[in-house]
Amino acid sequence: MNNTEAKFILQGYRPSGADAADATFAAALDQARRDPGLQDWFSREQAFDAAMSAKLAEIAVPAGLREAILAGGRVTVSEHRTRWWQHPALMAAAACLAVAAVATLALFSHPAEAADDFSTLALRDTLYNKAHGGHGVEAGALQAFLMSPKMRVGESLPVDYAALRRSGCRTLNLDGREVLEICFRRDGTWFHCYIAQRTDFPEIRPGSSPALSEVKGAGVAAWSDSAHLYVVVTKSGESAIGKLL
Amino acid sequence: MSSDIFSQLVDAHYTPLYRFALSLTKNSSDAGDLTQQTFFIWAKQGHALRETAKAKSWLFTTLYREFLRGRRRAERVTALEDLGPAEADPPAPAVDVLTGMDANLVVEALQEVDEVYRGPLTLFYLQDFSYKEIAETIEVPIGTVMSRLSRGKAQLRSALARKEDGARNKVVSFQTHTARKLP
Repeated sequence: MNNTEAKFILQGYRPSGADAADATFAAALDQARRDPGLQDWFSREQAFDAAMSAKLAEIAVPAGLREAILAGGRVTVSEHRTRWWQHPALMAAAACLAVAAVATLALFSHPAEAADDFSTLALRDTLYNKAHGGHGVEAGALQAFLMSPKMRVGESLPVDYAALRRSGCRTLNLDGREVLEICFRRDGTWFHCYIAQRTDFPEIRPGSSPALSEVKGAGVAAWSDSAHLYVVVTKSGESAIGKLL
Repeated sequence: MSSDIFSQLVDAHYTPLYRFALSLTKNSSDAGDLTQQTFFIWAKQGHALRETAKAKSWLFTTLYREFLRGRRRAERVTALEDLGPAEADPPAPAVDVLTGMDANLVVEALQEVDEVYRGPLTLFYLQDFSYKEIAETIEVPIGTVMSRLSRGKAQLRSALARKEDGARNKVVSFQTHTARKLP
């Protein structure tokens, strides 16, 4: 592989590091490590891509769009249901769909959901969403902190929320309230750290000491400090998360 | 389909979908309409999708298809695919300059990238998609995605440089004018 080919491949590598495990990039990344010129180009490319992503993340959604989608969706669903009822021949298929819907709800339901939407969001995102990753320089610094084997996670973290958001950290939306996500790895295990501002979730009052639980095989730790709420989730169970604390 | 599931789906995806739509349509009103339209199609047809985990891919693919359907520009797309090799590393603003640029100006530059490259490029910068997922979403081979990213980035760099030049010239002109007024 020459450097032109390596550049062609590496320009598709996301600056979040989310493609680190993708074998397609392995040879090109290895070549960049050995070739200072290629490494320099790659660093500049990654910095440019991270800055572009951060700018795109700054674009605000028009006020009222979410509400319009939800209202329109309800009307559409309602209309659609009526049509189904008007066709008895399709009732058997509808019954099958109903069973599937119940199964889906059962899959999602667990005791923590009713008590805490924030940790439910974190749990679902970890279990069912394939795309993860904290982005940007600020996220990288926090990620490095969390990855350090000596750091104990279940206490106040060095979080500059505004800077994380500005620099393109992955953001989730829970009823219009933002939750940031940073992924990190320790001893080969992936963890997902979700951070929210306390002021956005006045109804949630977790303690300053981490509360541990295991749901559907996933380990969950939740705690807070004076400014932020934290939920860390791993698919590797409660024992894995216990090692962080 | 449960309204709870629909609400969760909207909350999880409407922001990146809107940003994707904005890069394609070039104006916020059309982007909002396209985003809504995508969710309404889900509300009508989403029950057919058994795996909720695939909802994200389904939504972005549907939005992109709806956009293309509205544009009806198949010939234009074919013509752009026939272009020669991408320009190698065209001049672009330094990263710190890019960081300091207004986000709307940066998105304007992104919107100047040819449509065929803009879709995959925007999905790449949203960072929720690997190049393989981008290929699935816009329904082209993986190699085509890589090629479009390369060409799209080249066009984007040129567009950013033009925007940055324009902004800098305005500042220089203002400062010079002010300086001459000083005693």
